[in-house]
Amino acid sequence: MELYITGTGIVSGAGNSGDDSFLKEAPAYDTDKLLCVEPNYTAYIPPMQLRRMSKAVRIGIGASKMCMASAGIEKPDAISVGTAMGCLADTEVFLGKMIAQDEQMLTPTAFIQSTHNTVSGQIALLAGCYGHNLTFVQRGHSFEHAVMNTQLYLADNPYEQMLVGGIDELTEGSLEALKIGGINNKQNSIPADVLNGNNVGCIAGEAASFFIMTDKKPANAALCIKDVYCFADKDNATAVKKIESYITKHQQKIDVTVLGQSGDAASNPIYQSLCSGLLKDIPQYAFKHLCGEYATASAFALGMLANSVLKNKPLPAHCMLNKEVGEMKNILLINHYMHYYSCWWLQVV
Amino acid sequence: MKQAAYIINTGIITAIGNDTAACLDALLNGRSGIGKANHLKTHWADELPVAEVKLSNEEMAAIAGVDARWPRTALLSAIAVKEAWQPFADKVKGLKTGFFSATTVGGMDLTENVYKAFKEDSGTVDFNNIKNHECGAITELVANHFCISDFVTTISTACSSSANSIMMAAQMIGNGMLDVAIAGGADSLSRFTLNGFNTLMILDKQPCQPFDNNRRGLNLGEGAGYVLLMSEKAMQQCGATASCIVSGYANANDAYHQTASSPDGTGNKLAMGNALKVANLQPADIDYINLHGTGTANNDSSEGKAIEALFADKVPMASSTKAYTGHTLGAAGGVEAVFGVLSIRHGIVYPNLRWQTQMGDLNFKPVTTLQQGLAIRHVLSNSFGFGGNCSSLVFSKC
Repeated sequence: MELYITGTGIVSGAGNSGDDSFLKEAPAYDTDKLLCVEPNYTAYIPPMQLRRMSKAVRIGIGASKMCMASAGIEKPDAISVGTAMGCLADTEVFLGKMIAQDEQMLTPTAFIQSTHNTVSGQIALLAGCYGHNLTFVQRGHSFEHAVMNTQLYLADNPYEQMLVGGIDELTEGSLEALKIGGINNKQNSIPADVLNGNNVGCIAGEAASFFIMTDKKPANAALCIKDVYCFADKDNATAVKKIESYITKHQQKIDVTVLGQSGDAASNPIYQSLCSGLLKDIPQYAFKHLCGEYATASAFALGMLANSVLKNKPLPAHCMLNKEVGEMKNILLINHYMHYYSCWWLQVV
Repeated sequence: MKQAAYIINTGIITAIGNDTAACLDALLNGRSGIGKANHLKTHWADELPVAEVKLSNEEMAAIAGVDARWPRTALLSAIAVKEAWQPFADKVKGLKTGFFSATTVGGMDLTENVYKAFKEDSGTVDFNNIKNHECGAITELVANHFCISDFVTTISTACSSSANSIMMAAQMIGNGMLDVAIAGGADSLSRFTLNGFNTLMILDKQPCQPFDNNRRGLNLGEGAGYVLLMSEKAMQQCGATASCIVSGYANANDAYHQTASSPDGTGNKLAMGNALKVANLQPADIDYINLHGTGTANNDSSEGKAIEALFADKVPMASSTKAYTGHTLGAAGGVEAVFGVLSIRHGIVYPNLRWQTQMGDLNFKPVTTLQQGLAIRHVLSNSFGFGGNCSSLVFSKC
C-alpha cells in the first residue's frame, strides 16, 4: 500500500525540524557522538511534565508534536513507533540503583519509564489518542516495521491518520557497548570521516523522527512511500545482490538516491559497489554525517526528505556525494544498520 | 476478503510445564507453578514468590539444542518455538514464513549480572553477556536457529506484547503477505523486572488471587508461548489440520496513566469490542474469556468493569490462568493464546485458582472449578499493559 507523508518532526544531532535553519549549514564537529540538539519545548510540553521526562521521552514527544503541527492535526488516529533500544537512560538509572542498593529502597519512576513503549504510550496519553498503538523493537528494522504496520493498519482502517516514528537515544553505557561491538567508531570523527572515511564503525547518533502517514493522497505536495523492502544478511556480496535486484525490479527513472553510507570499513564496499555500478549516473546523497549511526536512522533520512518536500526546499548541498539532483520525483533510499538493510522507493506527489 | 489464519500447532514453556501436554496436564489438575525462586538469584527470593520455569539455562539449552550462553528469554523462546515449528519445519518449502516474537526484558538477565563491572571497566566483561541485550537480538537468535528469514519482527508493548505479535501475524497471513507464521512471545524473570514491579507495590507476597475481593497483587512468572499459523494454501501443502482460527484482534490505548488502568477500563472495552467486530461476533457468541486477570486491585477492577459494560448481565465463563503461570509479561499473550486454543480443542474451561471472595464492585464471578465436555466455539483472550496498551484476540473453532 502507498503511504503519504503529510507532516514530519525531527529532533536530532543536526537540530530540529521546527527550526527554520534546520540542515541549512554544513555540520562541523570533531567528536565520537552526535547528541540531540534539543529544542525549547515550551511550545510542545507543559513544564511540569517536561521535568519528569527522560531524554527519550522528551525528544519523542517533542518530535511527535512538531510533526502533528506540521500536518495540521492535534491528534492522530493511531500510533506506530520503532525503537531498537527503547528508553535506555531510564533503564540504566534503575539498573544502576538496583545494583548499588542491593535491590533495596528503590523508587519506581525510572522503572516505569524504562519500558520500550513509554514514548508511544506517553504520546497517546498526552494527545488522548485511544487508537491502535504499537512499538517495534527489531534492531535495524524497528522503524521499517513500524511503517509496515502502518500499511497493515490503514488497509483495515482507510483514510485514518497514523503517527509513525523512529526513535533511539544514546547513553554512555550504550555508546561504550556499541563501540565494543564495532558499530560506533571509538575515535572522534569530523563530517568528512563519515562521508568518505574507512573506519571501524561510524560516529554514534540518536534522534526522534516522526511522521503523519495516511493512505489518502493529499491535495498538497507530499512524499509518498511507494514501497519498502527489508532484509537481514551478514554477507556483503549477497546484500549487494539483493539491493541490486530491488533497484532493477523498480525500473522507473530514479532521480536521486539517498544512501546510509557511514565511513565504516565493513559496510563501505556495499555502497561503493552500488555507486560505481547501477547507481553510477544517478545523483547520490548521504545523511549519516548529520544524524550519526543508530538503529532507526532510516527515519531521519525519510524525515530529511519529507521536510524538503513539505517545505519545498532543495536537499541540503552538504549531503551531495557526486552531483546535484535536478527535479526530484522518484527517490531511492538505501540504508543499513549492522546487517539490517532497507530499500525505500519514494515519490514526490 | 481476508484469508483465515489457521492455528495449526502450539509451543509453550511455563512454570507449570515445559511443553503443551505438560501445561495442559497442570491446568486440568489445578497445579500452580508459583513458588520460591530457585534459578533467579535475588534479595527477595524468600519474600516474593514467582512462577519460575523449573529448568536451568544449561538444561534449556540442551533441550533446544542451542548455546547455553544465550539470554534466558532466548532459551525459553527457542524451546517453545521448537515445539510449535519442528513437526512442520521440513514441509514449508517455497512458502513464505514469518517469525513474530515479543519480549520486554530482552537480554536483561545477563546484562544485570555484568552491568556494574561493565560501567567500571568494560574491558573486563565478556561481551557475550552484553551483545544480546536488545529485545530484537533475542528474536534474531531464535529466527536464525530455525532458519526463518522471510519476515522477522519483535513487538514490545509491555504486558500486551505477544497478543500484538499474534495480531500482526494474522493480518499478514490475512493479506497474503505470508503463508506461515510463528507468533507469540517470551520473557524470563530478571531482577530488573522483579524489583521494578516491587517498587510499584503490586507484587503479592503470597500466591496471587486474581478477581478475588481480597487480592493483593500479582506474581511475576516467566515463559514463552507461540502459535503456528498457516493460510489454507500452506495447510494443504503441509498436510496440516487446524482446530481453530484467529478470528478477531484489536489493539487500543487506555490513554489514562503510564502504569495504571482507567477505573472503567476504557482501553480494555475498546480492545474487546473491536476484536469482536473484526471477528463479526456478538458478545453472546463468546463462550470463554481468558482474562488478563493479573491479581492487582487496579487491573481486575478495570477489566471486570469493562467486561460488564460489554457483556452486561450475560458475562460468559471467565478465568485468569495467571494463578497458575504467574504474569509472564511479554509472553502472557502467547501463553494464554495457547490456553485459548486448548480450551477450544478439548472443550474445557480452566478454574481461576485460589478464588474465595466475590469482588465488591463486580456482579460476575470467575469459573472456579474445571469445566469439561463443553462445546467452546469462541474464546476471547485479553492482554493489557503499561503505556495504556490494551489488546484482545478472538479464537474461533473451525
